[in-house]
This record gives sequence, C-alpha cells and structure tokens, in this order.
Amino acid sequence: MSDVCGDELVDVVVVGGGPAGVSAALAVGDAGAEVLIIEREDRLGGVLKQCIHDGFGVLQYGERLTGPEYAHRHVAALKCRQTQGGQIRVMTGAYLHSLRRDGTRWSIDLITSQGIQSIGTAAVVMATGCRERTDRQIYLHGDRPAGIFTAGQAQRLINIDGVMPGRNVVVLGSGDIGLIMARRFVLEGARVQGVYEIQSTVSGLARNVAQCLEDWNIPLHLGTTVTEVHGRNRVEAVTVCPVDGSGLPDHNAAERIPCDTLILSVGLIPENDIIADLGLPLDSSTGGPAVTQDRETQLPGLYVCGNALTVYDLVDYVSECGQAAGTAATRGATTARSAAAPSAHASAGPVETSGDIGQMVPQLLDLAADQPPVFFFRVKRAMDKATLTISRGGVQVESRRLTYLRPPEMIRYELRERAWAALRRNPGPISVAVEAADGS
Amino acid sequence: MSEQNGRPRRRPAPRPSVTPAGVRRVRRRLRRGGLGSLGCDALNGAVHLTGVVGRWDDRIRAGYIAASVRCRGVVNDIAVSGITEPAMTVPRVTDESLAGKAYDIVVVGAGVVGCAIARELSRFDLRIAVLEKEDDVGVHASSRNDGMIHPGFAPPPGTLKAWFNATGNRMYGDLARELGFQFDRVGSIVLFRSWWLRLLLPIMRLRAHQNGVDSPRVLTRGGVSRLEPNVTARQHGGLQFLSTGIVNPFEVTIAFAENAVQNGVEFHFETVLTGVELEMSGERRQIRSIRTNRGVITAGAVVNAAGSWADAVASLADDRFFTIHGRRGVDAVLDKQLSSTQHHALSMPDLLGSGRTHSKGGGLIPSIDGNLIAGPTAEETPDRENYATTHTEFTEVRDQLSLNDAVSSEFIITYFAGVRPATFTEDFIVERSIRVRNLTHVAGIQSPGLASAPAIAVEAARLAVESLREERGAEMGRNETFNPIRPARIDLSRLPLAERAVLISARPDYGQPVCRCEDVTEGEIRDALRSPLGVCSLDSIKRRTRAGAGRCHGGFCLPRVLEIIHEETGLPLESIRKKSGDSYLVLGRTKKIQRAPTHV
Ligand SMILES: Cc1cc2nc3c(=O)[nH]c(=O)nc-3n(C[C@H](O)[C@H](O)[C@H](O)COP(=O)(O)OP(=O)(O)OC[C@H]3O[C@@H](n4cnc5c(N)ncnc54)[C@H](O)[C@@H]3O)c2cc1C
Ligand SMILES: Cc1cc2nc3c(=O)[nH]c(=O)nc-3n(C[C@H](O)[C@H](O)[C@H](O)COP(=O)(O)OP(=O)(O)OC[C@H]3O[C@@H](n4cnc5c(N)ncnc54)[C@H](O)[C@@H]3O)c2cc1C
Repeated sequence: MSDVCGDELVDVVVVGGGPAGVSAALAVGDAGAEVLIIEREDRLGGVLKQCIHDGFGVLQYGERLTGPEYAHRHVAALKCRQTQGGQIRVMTGAYLHSLRRDGTRWSIDLITSQGIQSIGTAAVVMATGCRERTDRQIYLHGDRPAGIFTAGQAQRLINIDGVMPGRNVVVLGSGDIGLIMARRFVLEGARVQGVYEIQSTVSGLARNVAQCLEDWNIPLHLGTTVTEVHGRNRVEAVTVCPVDGSGLPDHNAAERIPCDTLILSVGLIPENDIIADLGLPLDSSTGGPAVTQDRETQLPGLYVCGNALTVYDLVDYVSECGQAAGTAATRGATTARSAAAPSAHASAGPVETSGDIGQMVPQLLDLAADQPPVFFFRVKRAMDKATLTISRGGVQVESRRLTYLRPPEMIRYELRERAWAALRRNPGPISVAVEAADGS
Repeated sequence: MSEQNGRPRRRPAPRPSVTPAGVRRVRRRLRRGGLGSLGCDALNGAVHLTGVVGRWDDRIRAGYIAASVRCRGVVNDIAVSGITEPAMTVPRVTDESLAGKAYDIVVVGAGVVGCAIARELSRFDLRIAVLEKEDDVGVHASSRNDGMIHPGFAPPPGTLKAWFNATGNRMYGDLARELGFQFDRVGSIVLFRSWWLRLLLPIMRLRAHQNGVDSPRVLTRGGVSRLEPNVTARQHGGLQFLSTGIVNPFEVTIAFAENAVQNGVEFHFETVLTGVELEMSGERRQIRSIRTNRGVITAGAVVNAAGSWADAVASLADDRFFTIHGRRGVDAVLDKQLSSTQHHALSMPDLLGSGRTHSKGGGLIPSIDGNLIAGPTAEETPDRENYATTHTEFTEVRDQLSLNDAVSSEFIITYFAGVRPATFTEDFIVERSIRVRNLTHVAGIQSPGLASAPAIAVEAARLAVESLREERGAEMGRNETFNPIRPARIDLSRLPLAERAVLISARPDYGQPVCRCEDVTEGEIRDALRSPLGVCSLDSIKRRTRAGAGRCHGGFCLPRVLEIIHEETGLPLESIRKKSGDSYLVLGRTKKIQRAPTHV
C-alpha cells in the first residue's frame, strides 16, 4: 500500500476504514476512479476487528462470519483490486483533522506520524462510524470508581488485549453490544448478575436476546435501571431500581447488587464532529446529517455512510450504504472534473416521515436519479402488522403490508420501479408513513 | 482584559483569642437557638463546642453561632447521633522507604496551596519535601473546582480572604508566563436580579476600594447584552470585573509542583502524615519528627496544607483551634460547541439571599479548555471525600444554565463534585502555630482558594522560613540555581498545523492521535508519563493531557492509553490504576495459561 506525500489531488477520499469506508472505496475503484482511504488506526476493519462473535455477512455472503472474517474479505477484495491495477490507496495511522470547501474542491488536512498532509479532492466520503453513549450522558450518579466501562471498551479489552475488565458484572442497557458482551463475560468465566434495561422492551435484536442471554441463563430485567454506583476505588455495588411508566425510579424498591464492574450498553451515537464543524445540521433522530439516496449531504461533494450516517443493525446494510456512497461520489468527482458540478440537490426534495417511523435515511430524494431509492427505517413501537405508504402531493404511489416490525430492527425497503416513476412525475411534498394495521 | 491596578491594603492580622465574655455570649446564643444542651468553653483561644445533637445541620448551625463572636476559631466536637464522620482515606502501602530522611521543611498536602508553597520555599537553599497521601498532586479540592480567578470583590473587607484573593489575582499574569499554564482574564459580570440593586452602587464601589480591587464597570441592561448577546433576559444590568481570570486548576497545581521539583523539592506520593513527635524548645513545644506510613522523618519545620484534613493534622500536633466541615459543590461541564456563546464568567447572585449557605451563588463560567462550567452548588456533608453526585444536586446545577439562553442541559457532557474545606469563622487561616513553634497552618482554604494560592504561598513560606531562622539563629541562604521558569507542556491541539508539523518531524508520536474528542496524541501521553512528578495512573494522564476527558469519555482511547502506560512504565495492565487505592482497571487475563507443574 503506497504512501502519499505532499499536497496532492485525488478523485475521492474516503475517511474511515471500517466496512462502510472499504465498501465505498471498492465502489470507487470499480467505477475506475482513484481513491484514497484514510484510517486512523494501524489496520483496516473498523470496529469489526473486535467483534469476534459470528453473524456478520448473512445477507451479503449467505454465511455467518465473525467480524474479523468479514473485515478480512473486504481487505482481501481491496488487495485484489490493487493488484489488478485499481487506483486504491490506503493510509493507516492517518487522522482526518479538518475538512474545508476550497472553491469547487474539498481540502483535507491529515495528521500522520510523518507530518501534516493536505489533500485536495472532488469528493469526500465520511465513514467514521459511531461512538458509545457514556455514563454521564445517561446521568448516572454515585461514586466514580474504576470498573465502569462501555460495552465496546470491554469488547476491545477482552477480545483484543486479552484482559478482563471485571469478574462480577452488571450490564446496564440492552443494546446489542451489551448482550453480546454479557455472553462473552460468561464464556470467559466471569459472573453476570443480569442485564438491566430502563425501557419495557429490549433495545437489541431478538436473536441476541435468545443467543446471548437465554441460552446462558443471564437474567434480563426490563423496566429497571441503575440509579447509583458505589465504591471509592473500584466498583463495589450498584443500586438498581424499577421505574414507573414515566421512567422515574421507585426508590422504595431499590436493591443493592454487589459487583465489581458495570458495563454500559446504552446507545450509539454517529461520529460527526467534523461535519458538525462545517455547520451541517444533524438529524436529531438519526444523529447524522440529512442525505440523498446517494448519501450526499447538503454540501455538494460531501458524502456520509455507514454508522456515521445512522446506526445500522447489520453490517451488510453498512456495506451497501458505503457502496452507494462510493458509486455516487465517483460520479460526482468525474463530472466535477469535466464541468461545473451539477449538484444533485438542484433536483432533491425532502422526505417527510409520519406515523410510527422513528428514523429514516435518506431524508432527501434526488428525483433526477433513474434508480429507485432504497429506504432504511426503524419504527417507534412494536407492531405485528403495519402498512407502509409512500405518497407525493397527497397522491399515494405505493402501499405495502409489513409484518413483525420491531424498533431495534432496521427495515430495508426498496421502492418499486413503477412507484418511483410515479413519485418523480407527481408534484408536491413527498411523504413516507407507517401505520399499524388493525389491532396491533 | 487588564491586570488589576488597585492598591492592596495591609494584610489583616490573625484573629484574636476568644474572651470569657465571648464564651458566655456563645452559650446565650446557643440557648436562644434551641441548642442550650451543648457544652461551650475556650480551647487554645478558640470556642470549643461539645455535646450531642440529632442532625448534622444542627452541628453546623452551632458552629456558626460560636463563630459569631470574635475568636481564633471554633473547635466543633459535637457528635451527631446516627452519623459517624467517615475517616480520611489513607494509602494501603506501608514501608520504610522514607525512614531516617531529614528535611528542613516538610509540607503536608499537595493541593494547589501545598504545591505553591513548595515552589516558594524552593527559592531558599533548603531540603524540602511534600507529603501527599494520594498518587498525584491536586486530587482533592484543587482539581474539583470552577477554575475561576476571582477579582477579590466578594470576600468581606478586612478578611484574609479579601487580602489574599486580591493579591493572588494580581500575581496570576506573571505566574502564567513563568510557569507556562494557560490563563485568560476573560472578565466576569455579576448580573443584577432587580433594577434597585443599582442603588447599592456606592456601597459596591467602596467595597472594591477596601479590598484593593479595581472598580467594576457598571453596565446597563443593554450594555450587558451587547457584551453577552445570549445572556438571560431576566437581568437588570450588572457589574463587570475586568481582572477576573480563568485557569485549569489542575494545570496550575502541576505547574507549581513541577517547578518546585525542578528546583530541588521532593514529592512523596501515597505518603500520609500519621503522627507527630513533639519536644520542648525553651518555653514552647516543637515538632522533632513526623510519622508516616513510609517511616519516621525529621523535619525542621512543618507546613500544614492538608486541605480537608488540616484540622486532623493540627490535632496530631496537639494544636486544635479550628474544625473543618466539608461543604460539597457540584459542577456540570458543557460541550465545547458552546464556547462561542459566552465570553465572561456570569453569575446572578441572590443578594438578598435566604442566607442558607455560606458559598457564593455559583454561575456559568467559561473554562480555559473551551467548555462552559455550571455550578457549584453548596451542601454540608459529614463525608469530606464524598465525590459521589446525586440527582438532586445535579438538578440544582442545571438551574445555572438559564443564565445563557444558548445553553441547555443536553449539552452537559459530565459533572463532578468537590468538597470545600470550610471553617466556621469562614476566613482563611494562614499563621504560625501559637503552641508549636515550628508549625505553620494554612487551613480553611475554600473558595477563592485557587485565586488566592499564589499570595498565600508567599506568606506561608515566609512564616515557615521565619520559624526555621528563629531556631537556627541564622538567615536562610537563597537557592542560587532557582529557576522560576517551567516549560509549558506541549499541547498540540492549540498549535497551528504548520507548527505541529515541525514537532512531528522531531517526534513522530506527536502525529499519532489517541484521543479523538480532545485531539490528544500518543506523544503528549508519553510526555505526561515522563514528566517530573512521575505519575502513572489513568486519571493523572487524563488531568494532564485531557485524554478521555471529552465527549466519549475514553470510549476509544482507554485501551490505547493503558498500552502506552504499560510501554512507558513496564507495569503489567493488571497493575495499572485509575487513581489511588485499589482502583485497578483490569482484573486479570482472559485465558490464564496454567503452567504445567515443573518437577525438580
Ligand atoms: C464498540 C462497538 C461494537 C460494535 N459491535 C458490533 C457487533 O458486535 N455486531 C454488529 O453487527 N455491529 C456492531 N457494532 C456496530 C458496527 O459499528 C457496525 O456494524 C459496523 O462496523 C459499522 O461500520 P462503519 O464502517 O460504519 O464504522 P466503523 O467500523 O466504526 O469504522 C469507522 C472507522 O473510521 C475510523 N475513523 C473515525 N474517525 C476518523 C478520522 N477522523 N480520521 C481517520 N479515521 C477515522 C475509525 O478508526 C474506524 O476504523 C459495534 C459498534 C461499536 C461502536
Ligand atoms: C466545587 C468547588 C468550586 C470551587 N471553585 C473555585 C474557584 O472557582 N476559584 C477559586 O479560587 N477557588 C475555588 N474553589 C476552592 C479551591 O478549590 C480550594 O480553595 C483549593 O483547591 C484548596 O487547595 P488546598 O491545596 O488547600 O486543598 P486540597 O486540594 O484539598 O489539598 C490538600 C491535600 O492534602 C492532602 N492531605 C490531607 N491530609 C494529609 C495527610 N495527613 N498526609 C498527607 N497528605 C494529606 C490531601 O490528599 C490533598 O491532596 C472551589 C472549591 C470547590 C469544592
């Protein structure tokens, strides 16, 4: 993998070498443009490197791979493309420091152990992943001892560094990484007292509840939260409390559970600080900026994909998202080279969501595109039957029955050709709605 | 903004001993306050309270009643049924590593005050040691505060607080240059809650004059909003103090300590003073040696800068004349995104206030690192090292957010608690012991203790050296090699990219980011581990570099920081701690490889 020196120009720069970024770069390579991946760590793979459990790539490869296996296939594809003369370059140990618009180009400053580098490019694909919500963000109170970790920290410490962050564990929050780590702790010989979730439903996937908790007899306590941490130096106990309908703890029913470790799995936040610095507003429901089906933001030539855009539940969707961004960025970059960039936004309209849709990408539709868009959304509440309707200017162009909808699960919906054609034709605002169908 | 030019007035003399009439008056007032069952007499010039009450609040109330007469201090031995005051946490280690060491001066406590004193003392040609029970400097009050360098207007005229605060404030500009810490005179605005507060302006001007503080500028409502467009609409103008500054309190503490080390002072961490050996020197007693968990040390003079436990140290030297009571304060830290929404430190005190507490009303203050800090609250606590936060206090802190219309509680990234070491007389104690010739007390240093620390240090060092001179009958020599300059730490996030590039070419690890939220590189973490105080816990690194202090709280960088600590110090991961005590971060290896027993 080659080095890049001095100020230079590339067609597309991809920031982040996780599954989203690598998929984006592969797509750029396939389209025949030159691409540079910038990765902060010393290896590609992103967070997959520490996900040693299986279940990755079911849709894409029809196999249940582990995270590192999945990442390895990606990197192998990248190497293969490179040997075939593809202009894909990778810089690891390189950190995107800042990004700014320079006329029709983007200018990027990188920090590496060789120094500072500036790179000019027509298109930037941000694939910086997500970070975990912390104890302070959920207003956890009490002492501040050692022994409070996010599930991702614990995952990295156990799976990569080979050390045990704890032996007697309480898990707060039922996000997927928390469920997976509850099982991991048990496999490593630790005791897991239980998983405590403030909400009345689990926030992780049903299959993880079955495979990670039920199969290992780890108790799950819904409608219960940790209200206080005890221990000056190392965690000694936590107080757990059931909560009432409005989320307020019932202190009379508090219980003190001795433990040495508290693991938090209370949500993921798309990593978009650099984008926020550019003044792009973030969608409060997804945590990422609004994008078109090409994953282009409202700043022409700036694309966001993967978990930086919205937190997906399947890596296959992350890769699909990356690929869409890479393909579009190439198109954008090559047209930008030949003429003044005709931004997709000239023809993009906002999509309004209603009913039980909690979050959705894309938030903007480029109506000039020939390909029908694919929607990814989550619902706000569990429904066994529901109807998805898509309309424009009050005219319904699509109506579909959906079954078994659960808030943790991302729903992928590919618009049919006919509906897309109708949507493009009609005037007026575009809306997408999910309504529960009879009785659910 | 400007340095303060106001003339400092003379330093007030220490408070006098209580008179028998004073003791009688306290007894009467206790009776009137429904606390007549309590005992009250004089002890070492202080009012001494004994007895039992049912509530902590009553114990505190009795203390303040006692302090309403002129006295050196209040020794409050009132027990509260059902409450045992938690003891001081002490290091686990015991060894003899310091046994037989002899120092001219030993400073007990490495908060900002002890460290500043150590640095002042290092101007002399003396053997000096600082004992600190924690694993680093500034672990207690000195890293758990608002970082504000008050102008000196708030303390009542004629108090040591007023004098040291105004004098200390004036010293900060030069100190920041010498010691290489960040300091910014951002100024502060005290907002008026009602229009009629303007009628008090002549009194306020007089107070500024008495305290030696530059006269504040009087701002109209419109004047305030021009300076601070996001300020609350509830204000009716205010007073602007140009000399108010902000610092990172921990950086200041380290800077004093590192400069002291450069100039020959020894710091001994996880070393606690546990006893004092007294001997007679003529008419008076003096300390011959001190006991620690690491052996007995001889000391020519001792400075008590033990913060929350200064009364315990005084008691070990059989010199009780004050009692410390902890007053907790909780602060919330807001995201850096808000840094451009406010420039001055803002507060809107309830001047008529219910008089419920003795600490100022708090406010919303820019931090030197670009965050905003809301708080602090004030609540009496029996537990002087209780830094747990509670939901109630947290809700109270959030009220301060209403000072700035651009902020809201979603921007809170963290919150913390500190404990103020308050005395009942509410003034600083900076004096030589009356009973023990070679002991100097620096106690009750609550807010504005950080602002006052430089001035307190000059005085405390003078007193300690004076006690040594008396004994030896000779002037103390100057330290010929004293160097007041401490190089600032390299903080890449503050440098333009071109300058970063130059540094990276010499040290490639400055080009390896570790903490993305706060933009901290591997090189800076290694620098902290190689710094003069020789610290190696996770929190020490965080306080020095801000690694792990940002939005994600170390979500990504913690494992990497542990690795770097391991590489630099050779400590196995299982031995790396978050802070003092048994705060181990990892509890063993995953797959312990059981070695087959070897037969000999
Ligand atoms: C701790 C954690 C554990 C997870 N575990 C699972 C799991 O077990 N199963 C699962 O299905 N999903 C898991 N997820 C979700 C997972 O993130 C996605 O499935 C998938 O890995 C996301 O891919 P991505 O490429 O969008 O992001 P990531 O895989 O996170 O990749 C982002 C990459 O960008 C790099 N980067 C970020 N900022 C910069 C910058 N400024 N300059 C240069 N490089 C930068 C990062 O180093 C990283 O390599 C986990 C997420 C987290 C945070
Ligand atoms: C919430 C809050 C906000 C504040 N805000 C401000 C502000 O904005 N501006 C301002 O000027 N001031 C402020 N203050 C006050 C300021 O923090 C203190 O005045 C100052 O830090 C006191 O420093 P110190 O060195 O006396 O105490 P400490 O920092 O507590 O140091 C004392 C040290 O002595 C050690 N010690 C004690 N006993 C022993 C023993 N027996 N052996 C060995 N070591 C011992 C302790 O471990 C401790 O490290 C605030 C305080 C609080 C709590």
